[in-house]
Amino acid sequence: MPKRVLLCDDEIAILRAAEFKLKKAGYEVQMASDGQAGWELIQRSGVDMVITDCQMPRMSGLQLVERIRSEPALQQLPIVMLTAKGFELRPEELAAKWNVLAVLPKPFSPRELLQLVDRVLGNGPPPGLPGMPTSACLAGSADGGPKPDLNSFSPLETS
Amino acid sequence: MSLLGLSALSVLCASLAVWKGFGPESSWGWGLAVGGAVALAASWVLTRLVCQEQTTLRYLEALVERVEKDFLLPSVHRELPTLSGSPGSLPAVEKLTKAFTQLRARLEELEHHRASLEVRIRRVQSEWQQIYTILTGIPEPLLAINEYGELLWANPPAEALLESETGRDRPVRAQRIKCPKLASLLQNMCERKTAGSRSEEVEWADPKGTVRFYRALVTRLVPSTEQADPGAVSVVALLRDIGDQKALQKRHAEFVSSVSHEMKTPLAGIKAYVELLADGDVEDPETQQEFFQTIAAQVERLQRLVENLLNLARIEAGVVQVRKQAHSLNEILEEAFRVVQPAAEAKQIRLEADLSQLYLNVYVDRDLLLQAAINLLSNAVKYTPAGGRVTLRSRLEDQYAQFEVEDTGVGLSQEDCQRVFEKFYRVHKDAHMASGTGLGLPLAKHIVEDVHGGSIAVESQLGVGSTFRVRLPLLSRSWDSRAPTPETAEPASAGTPA
Repeated sequence: MPKRVLLCDDEIAILRAAEFKLKKAGYEVQMASDGQAGWELIQRSGVDMVITDCQMPRMSGLQLVERIRSEPALQQLPIVMLTAKGFELRPEELAAKWNVLAVLPKPFSPRELLQLVDRVLGNGPPPGLPGMPTSACLAGSADGGPKPDLNSFSPLETS
Repeated sequence: MSLLGLSALSVLCASLAVWKGFGPESSWGWGLAVGGAVALAASWVLTRLVCQEQTTLRYLEALVERVEKDFLLPSVHRELPTLSGSPGSLPAVEKLTKAFTQLRARLEELEHHRASLEVRIRRVQSEWQQIYTILTGIPEPLLAINEYGELLWANPPAEALLESETGRDRPVRAQRIKCPKLASLLQNMCERKTAGSRSEEVEWADPKGTVRFYRALVTRLVPSTEQADPGAVSVVALLRDIGDQKALQKRHAEFVSSVSHEMKTPLAGIKAYVELLADGDVEDPETQQEFFQTIAAQVERLQRLVENLLNLARIEAGVVQVRKQAHSLNEILEEAFRVVQPAAEAKQIRLEADLSQLYLNVYVDRDLLLQAAINLLSNAVKYTPAGGRVTLRSRLEDQYAQFEVEDTGVGLSQEDCQRVFEKFYRVHKDAHMASGTGLGLPLAKHIVEDVHGGSIAVESQLGVGSTFRVRLPLLSRSWDSRAPTPETAEPASAGTPA
């Protein structure tokens, strides 16, 4: 059964590009244009991974993350954030506080996004091999979460 | 004198009479004559002495009068008078006269000196008053301290800061100032042996407890060798309020962040689709076509953003080329409507046009006014949740052509209504809701008011929605005609009314 990935972004173009790439790789993709719709999808159908933008109407990405982590059953749900923000977001803080796996800066590469999803959902090459995403800023994880091993990722500003 | 002369003459006559009567042989007669002569001589000497004393006394009396008159009362005489018959030969009187003359000269000299000192004191007082007025009038805090770190003087703004933390107790020591950075800076400068200045940014809470930002310029004064008094002023600190500058820096940083965010979003689309196409992921020609169109749309969006930025910069710098011509307001609004419609549809917002049937003839720069209308509509779409409604209306109001953009969005507070046209201002509570540069509304205001002499205003209610209303002067009163007036018409583009 294909792994289910939730994409949250208020930019239709971004959703469509990410959806195309992930679907082509065999994932089942759910899409939502704001945090609230995303949360409803999680509740309704359940997902294996969440990729969310930060700035969205109704419920922002951070609010969505907060909502997810407020559910005991969703403490380990892998979350990756996409953002066009510059210096407001601190990946380390997000990791420590909300167990966010990575912050992927926009503009992002669909290829790298797929590699990241593959790694997180266990379909990718073993860690440390060439071909890892280069633009993601792996955030580390909070207690109990899967420890990130993509330390070679460059920081947020470099892409 | 005449009395003495007469008595002497009578004694002499008596002596002669005795001598004639008693004869030279009579010894008694001789004795009498000698006694008379001696008595006469003694009386002459005594009389002479008494007269001299009286004259001296009279002179002294006159002298005392003169002293009273010339020294104790305002002086008018330059020289002491010479009294008739003065016993100038008496050395004591001479000395006295000389001493008094010297004394008066000295007194006059002192009086002159006193007067000149008084003038100098008045001048210094006036100068000090001036300096004091200037120092106390400086709106920024100013402090002076001595080498012991004791506060010697503070102007009222500095007093206000100090009082808020120490009350009125004096002296306040520099180390006790509740602004650690400033306290340590003052201390360092006090300990310094040479003259010089240092400047640092400090934060200090004002009497209301609000933290204010200052740039402290602390100057160590030259300790001159003569002025060895360590109690004298040795360090002066002037605190320049940089709150506005800080706020501007913050707004600028927010603006740069906003602009980069706005630019990154379309760039993200472009990069993603180009990569998908380049990697050969897209085999289906229809999907390829769709992706190319998306790229083109994102490029257009990026271009619009850059134009917005440039237009604002141009208008602010006064270098914008305004090309005003007669235009149909409705035609411009229709075009703005078409531009924004896709964004509204994507967000499931109902965009409606309710344009006047009249030909609203306005004398405008078409591109600029179009930009303003697009900005107002985009703004409404951005801040209206899915399922909401945005209405574009145009009307004739008195001698104005009026258009308004009404939304059923989140609405604005009263404060936001006042500030929403400020450059870079973004309503904080909605910042998470929509991306924006904080430039759209300021630019619209510039275009409407500065370029076209119109007015822009907003009415809003939190949670209900907002209405942005624009008024532009009508070009002519021939508004009821569907054709533009000949002298102002733009031949090809006199638009079709709605």
